Formats: sequence, structure tokens, C-alpha cells
Amino acid sequence: MPKVRPLTVTLVVLSFVSILFVSLAGAQRSAIDTYAITNARIVTVSGPTIERGTVVIRNGLIAAAGANVSAPSDARIIDGAGLTVYPGLIDSYTNLALPEAAPSPSPGGGGGGGGGFFAAQQRPTPGGPNSTQPPGLQPETMVEDVIRPGGNEIEASRSTGITTALISPRTGIWMGQSALINLAGGTPQEMIVRSPVAMHVGFTSLRGSYPGSLLGVFSTLRQMMLDAQRYRDSIALYERSPRGMRRPEMDRSLAALVPVVDGRMPVVMLANSEREISRALDLAAEFKLRLIIAGGRESDRVAARLVKQNVPVLLSLNLPRRTTAAIPEADPEPMRVLRDRVEAQQTAGKLAKAGVRFAFQSGSLTNISDLLANANRTIENGLSATDALRAFTISPATIFGVENQLGSVEAGKIANLTVTRGDLFDRNSRIAHVFIDGRPVDLRPAAGGPGGRNVLSGTWHLNISLGQAERAATLSLQQEGERLSGSISGSLGAGEISNASVTAAEVRFTVPLEIEGQTKEATFTGTLTGDQIRGTVTVVGLAPGSFSANRARPN
Amino acid sequence: MRVTKPLFLLSVVVCVSSVAHAQTVAPQETLIRNATVLTVTRGTLQNTDVLLRNGKIAGVGKNLSASPNARVIDGTGKYVMPGIIDCHSHSMLDTINEGTLAVTSMVRTEDVLNPTDVDLYRELAGGVTTLNLLHGSANPIGGLNTVVKIKYGRPASEFLFPGAMPGIKFALGENVKQSSRPNQPGVTRRYPNTRMGVEETIRDAFVRARDYKRAWDEYRAAAGKDKNLLPPRRDLQLEPLVEILEGKRYVHAHCYIASEILMLINLADEFGFKIKTFQHVLEGYKVAKEIAAHGAGASIFADSWSYKIEAYDAIPYNAAIMTRAGVVVSMNSDSDERARRLNIEAAKAMHWGELTEEQALRLITINPAIQLGVQERVGSIEVGKDADVAIWNGHPFSVYSRVDTTFVDGEVFFDRQQDLARRPALAKERAALEQAEPNRPAAPGQSPRAPGRRRPSQHDDTIEEEQP
Repeated sequence: MPKVRPLTVTLVVLSFVSILFVSLAGAQRSAIDTYAITNARIVTVSGPTIERGTVVIRNGLIAAAGANVSAPSDARIIDGAGLTVYPGLIDSYTNLALPEAAPSPSPGGGGGGGGGFFAAQQRPTPGGPNSTQPPGLQPETMVEDVIRPGGNEIEASRSTGITTALISPRTGIWMGQSALINLAGGTPQEMIVRSPVAMHVGFTSLRGSYPGSLLGVFSTLRQMMLDAQRYRDSIALYERSPRGMRRPEMDRSLAALVPVVDGRMPVVMLANSEREISRALDLAAEFKLRLIIAGGRESDRVAARLVKQNVPVLLSLNLPRRTTAAIPEADPEPMRVLRDRVEAQQTAGKLAKAGVRFAFQSGSLTNISDLLANANRTIENGLSATDALRAFTISPATIFGVENQLGSVEAGKIANLTVTRGDLFDRNSRIAHVFIDGRPVDLRPAAGGPGGRNVLSGTWHLNISLGQAERAATLSLQQEGERLSGSISGSLGAGEISNASVTAAEVRFTVPLEIEGQTKEATFTGTLTGDQIRGTVTVVGLAPGSFSANRARPN
Repeated sequence: MRVTKPLFLLSVVVCVSSVAHAQTVAPQETLIRNATVLTVTRGTLQNTDVLLRNGKIAGVGKNLSASPNARVIDGTGKYVMPGIIDCHSHSMLDTINEGTLAVTSMVRTEDVLNPTDVDLYRELAGGVTTLNLLHGSANPIGGLNTVVKIKYGRPASEFLFPGAMPGIKFALGENVKQSSRPNQPGVTRRYPNTRMGVEETIRDAFVRARDYKRAWDEYRAAAGKDKNLLPPRRDLQLEPLVEILEGKRYVHAHCYIASEILMLINLADEFGFKIKTFQHVLEGYKVAKEIAAHGAGASIFADSWSYKIEAYDAIPYNAAIMTRAGVVVSMNSDSDERARRLNIEAAKAMHWGELTEEQALRLITINPAIQLGVQERVGSIEVGKDADVAIWNGHPFSVYSRVDTTFVDGEVFFDRQQDLARRPALAKERAALEQAEPNRPAAPGQSPRAPGRRRPSQHDDTIEEEQP
């Protein structure tokens, strides 16, 4: 017995340790990695829509999706009755997850000399480690090196239903190389789906040094691409027979451009107007680049060339609108400006008709919740809802070469899913769940701002507590992004709301109220929680009061 | 359905405006009957017909016949004149100067064309059909030029004048030595700061260009024998300078004073190339013989001076004196505004210096055509030339005359009657657009910006475009 005992103890201890180890290993990921969304409408994008079916998610991937799929026994079940499952939306161009823009280098040092004699002065100061080029002309810049996980912007984006985004460098001429990331994960490594995706070019000039104008920008782009071709050739020649040849000087910037001039890496060029896009197309044709247009506001006007050169467009949903007040004595706006604002809404529809491949991007919308509202405007202006959905899903996936991983609800793809209550493009729909890499992510509580998606629209029962009195009224609100309009009616009179603003943090508007026989302006400031807005109401000459508004449920 | 109505209105207007701009097939044949024709090179012809067919001038004479579907314009009491050529323009350029370096021969105005610049339409309304789009005068050797026909409404690529000689802008004097630029503490001024430095900068560039050309010549000679030879680095700055040395690119040199004009002539002689035009050249009358001997042209203002120190010693007889010395002289605008009335600028040369009417007409037609290497195509009314003509309702040298119709390659790009007829529809469109959702002002908002100049003035080169 004494001999046996130690062995038994050892076994017991060992088995205990191993149980502990296994459970720890499991805890490192998540206790649950299998989900099933049952009884849901499934918009697969790649195939027909399944009116009632189940999506099974396992280990970060879509394990199965279909009408006859049953939920595995170990799955956490999400009742999908009344819900629609879409592929996770892709924002095809954004600066999310990047540190704030660095202050631009101060001008100074002036230009160089006339060349030759003063050539040394003309040489730009290297800005990055071992770069031969100044900031703004460093194609070797990699977005993946500076991605920051977490943060408000990412949270706001995925609360809008976006699961994946192409992160472009912020500034520069050769801006650097983008990364496609999933909008969840604690580290950049976890988030990256593909990197680098493309080289990015912006037609901005440097400050105080060459190129200081659009003229110089084009020449610089050309010269660097010519230099990259020669760099490639000289390296190849040297590698073939190094003996007897002086070794080519290392150049990170030119090395980064070699895949571009070889047509292996696509180039995303920022271009909105017809002429900007034409110039990009010309440059791409000159150097046989794989061009992608980003912005593309007037891209429909060059649709034939885009089709011919097989150039896709990352179309901005930052639709232009008049932000200035009308003042009678001011000069009228030019017709072109008025036309362009109206026509920008039609671009997507025209691109679809012309057969141009395009994907939607947020285009630095100040309020990401406008994304779907603006997509709706393109649908009202000629784009089919099917094409709109494709522009958020399979189209960007294909443009970025990840169509086998993303863009549709199909077994084997990354389980990025956007689940809505109501149709995605219905103004009153809401994002119910978002899965990224197979896991549900926290959504921002529905607020007026980001993620809220016009949730303020509707009728509200308003209770106002001012002074000694409690009054009831009916508030009718129409929200469109940050714009809010509506009216109030009840025992305090009736009137239109004005000076309304909506942010993530608060809702604010002014209405005329009849108080003690006088019409007074009352300003409401509140926050939305669930289906209730609570806050304060201030009226000039009275002590501040409080209010609450509860959403009226249709019977 | 809310969107339907504005859309409908929009399409009506698009149709109207496309009458003038959307032709892609051969333009309609046009017969102008019984007009006074200012041919420029063949005298003034009274009661004469001009036939425009397939983009060319197909006939000039009496009782010409046209095909049945030709448009016939009664030219009685009207004047037909070749389209005016402006040898110094910065219209339709999104940016004019790359001023960060002293030598920017690598930049091309062709890269920054804006075919929607409304100045182009106004220039058509002034009877102008061809422009020499030049880089600004910020540096001794500026960017490459673009010669265009004003095909307003078309993509930029259709503006390019086929067969025009490539050119480049040079500049001398105050602008390039940045004499009016204040010294800023801590900022090194761009070299050169003196006229001596300007000469050195240009000479240095051509020395480098000569070496560059030699390197390529040697490479081409050796490449046949050695397949592993790496070609020299292509240098976009030096390539255009090599073209100048080879006589394949015209130099248009902005200049003012006599000494710098002589300097550049000597420098060009030293390197064996020609200056095609001196631009502005306010003291050209002092060295007219030398300019003529070099074979250079001059492109000038009629009577604009004293806008900076180097522009003081000018006289309005400049055109007449240089013309009599044998210089090919043209009148240019260098201004989007003046470009609309170059006819009057030319007329002034009859007053100051008593050039003949034909000599004065040449200043804005065949002479600038010669200076741009397009004299076989435009600049006079002759059978076989491009149908770039304008119909005036009076003699173009009268301040009371207006352009009725401007043709480019036989196509109407400006027509006064069409323009007037279009206005009610445009007003309607504006009203509809103002009501469209994206154009409704978001309140509260800021008032619209006060109308500003679209870009810093290039008028007379007084203000150089501010470098960023």
C-alpha cells in the first residue's frame, strides 16, 4: 500500500493538473465558440436568400448556413425570429484605428538650389528610419505598424454593422500600404485579415518643399515609379551576376514600389472629380498599374473608361450637401455645385448600370451612423438594394482579394455577421447583433448618435416637470443622422422644434411652449437610454426643469 | 417619387446644352454666305462665302454651294475671322506654378488641365479658339506647356492640339529671383536671388542636360554589344532640356529688360538652341534687331506696364517697332479676363505705331500660330486649314463688335443666340436644384463664403502665385 499511494497521488495530481490545463487553454479563447442563430432570415449575398434558416458559427468561421441546418447541441442558441442575418459590412476605405494625424512638418528650409551646384540642398531630408524620402513620399509606410485596437471609432463603426474595414494611411502622396482588419480584437495581429492590401496615393503636395503643387506631385509620382523600375532591374542584374558589378544601393522606398510597378499590388488613388479620376486613369495606363479609385464622386462620368481599364471604385458615402445657410444678399452658388450635390446621390446607381465594380466606403463621415442613411439615398436615386448590399459585402471582398474569406454567408468563411431587426436598408431597422471572427461584439447602447441609426424617429410621450407643474405632450421626431426635425403638441401648445442637434452623447432641441399665457422657447437636453430620453428643460426666466420621453409603441 | 420631378427638369437642360457639346460624329457642314472675310494672309474679301466641312475650311469664294443638309448662315454685314490664338494663358490649369525648385522642367501643365474652367467659355465668346497654356514664372526653368483648342464641354484629352510643338516655360528677372518676396527669419531663400544666379541656374541645367544626353548616347551605342548593361537613370527633369538641345521643344521665355534678353540669347547660342518666343518682353523694342537675328518671336501686351520695377521702361510702340525689325510678334493675354478682348489689344497696335490692319490682325492669329508651330493648321482663313473661325457682328477692331458664333474644327462651341435661348431653362433648372434635398441649407449654418478670386491673379505677372 505505501508503495501504491504515491503513484495514486501522482495520478490524481496529474489528472487534476491536466483538467486545469485544458480548461485554462479553453479560457484563453472563450468558453463558448459555437453559436447558432436559428429561425432567422439569411441574406447570403452569394446565393438565394433563405427565408427561415439557421447559421452555425464555430471556431470563428461559419460552419453552416441554410434552411435545413440544425443547431449543434453545444451551441449557444440565438433566437433569430424576426431577425435578418447579413454578411458583416465592409467599409472599403477609412482611417479608423489610426493614431491622430501627426502635425504636418513645419515649412522651412526653403527649396533647393538650381540643381547640380546646389544639389545637396535639394535632397529631401529622410523622415523615416532608413528612408531616402521625406514624409509624404514614403511608400514603405505600413498601416499595420500603427493600428490601434479598440477605441470609440471602432466601437461606433461596428455598432453600425461594420465588421471589417480597409484602413488607409492618413496623408501623403505615396501614403503607404493599407490593411484590411476586422473591427474586434485586442491586438493588431488579431485584427488583420490581410496586409498589405494596396498602395495608396493622394494628390496632395508637400509644404515648403518639392513637390509643392499638383504639377510636381505628378512628376514626383512618375519619377519615383521610373526609379523603382530601374531599382528592380538593377537588383535583378546584380543577383544574376554580382561579380564585377557595383552593388545597387538599398532603397526602402523604391523597393516598396516594385510590386506596384510590376502590377502585383493594386494602387488606390484618391480622386473624386471627373478630371481627377481621368488623371488617375491616365497615370495608371502610363505605368500599367492596377488602379482602384477611392472617393469616386463623379466616377459615373468616366464609367466607360473604368470598365475598359477594369478599375473598381471605392465610392464614398460621404455625400455632399449644403452646409451653409441661405442668405439673400450672398452670391448664388454656382450651378455646377448645385448639380454636383444632386448628382452625387445618383453615382452609385449609374455605376451599377454601367457595370463598374464598386464598393461603399464611409469617406470620413463625421457621423458613421449616416452611412446606412446615405446608402438609402443612393437606393432612392437609382441603385438596387441588392447592389447596395453587394457594395458593402462581396464587392469590396473581391476588390481586396478576400472573396474566399469574407463578403457572404457561406460555410467556411470568416464568421463576420451583421444581424438586424428589420431590413438593413429600412430606416427603422436596428442592428441587433454583430459577430466578428465568430464572436458577438458589444454594441453601443442605442443613442442618438453613432450606432443609433435614426432611432429618434418616431412618436414620443413627453412628460415635462417645470416649476410645480407636470405637463404631458406628444413629441414627433424625424432623425436623419445628425439632423433632427419634428413637432410638439399638447397642453403646452403646438410648434416645430428648432436648433436641434444629435450627438452620441446627447439630444438637444428647442420648442416654443405656452407657459402662463406666454409663448416661450424651451430647450431640451437629454440622453437616450433604450426607449426613453431623459434630461433637463430650460426656459428663460424659469428654474430648470426635467423631462422624460417614452417611445410610443404602435398598437 | 419626390425625386422624379427635378430629375426630369435636369434631363431637359442636359439635352439643350448637349446640342452644342455632345457631337461625336463629323460636325455639321456650315456655309457662311456673303460675309466680309478677314483671311489675314490673303487680304480682306468682301461679299464672300466660307464653307466649313469635316472640320476644315473647304471653300472661300463667291457663290459656294454646300450639301443640302448644311447649315447656311447669312453673313451679310458680318465679319469672319480666324479663331484668335492666345500665346500666353493660364486658363484651365488647376495649378500654375511649381515654385519650390529653380528648375522644374519635369512638371507638365498637361497633368493639371481643368476642362470645366468657365473662363474657356468666356474666351470662346471673345472669338478665341487656341491657347498656349504656360507654367507660371516662379522659376528660371519652369514646366512644360500645353497647346489646346478650346473644346469646352469635352474631356481634357480632346482639347490637346494635335501636332503642336511641345514647349517649355523659362522665366527671368524679378519673379524668379523672388525680389518681392519678404525675407523670413529662419527660411533660406531659394537660389537664385540675382539675375546672375538666374543665368547660372539655366546654364547649370543645360550642362547637366548635355551630360545626360551623352550618357544615353553612350549607352545606346554600347547596349547593342552588352546585353547586361544597365541604362542610365531616366531623369524627367533633364529629358525636356535634351529635347530643347535637339530642337524638338520650343522655349517660351518670360522676360522684361533688355540685358536679360541678350543674356538668354547668348546662352542659347552657346548651347546651340533657339528661343522661340520672348514673353512680355517689355524692353524688346531696345533689342529688336538682336531678337530678330536670333530668330525669336515676341509675345507682348499692348499697353500694360509699370506694375513692377522691371516693367517701367516700356512703350506702347513695342509691337510696331519689333514688327518692323522683322520679329514675329503676337499679343497675348496672360489673364483670363483680357483673353476675352484680344481683338482690342491687337487694334491698339494700329493706333500706337500705325501697323496696318493686316499686321495688327496677324498679332492675334497667324503670328502666334507660327510661335506655337501650328501655322499650317490655324491662324488664317485658307482652304485646307482647320475650321477654327469666329463670326463677328462688326469689324473685330471695333469696341462695339461682338462674336455671334465661334467654331472649332467646324463645330459650334459658342453661339450667342443659343446661349440666350438656354437661359430660361437654366433658370428653371436652378430653381429645381435649389429645392433638391442636398441643396437645402442645413440650419443653423454659416453663410456662404464671400466670392473670392478663384486663384491669385496672374494679371501682368504682378502677383506670382503664392507657394505653399
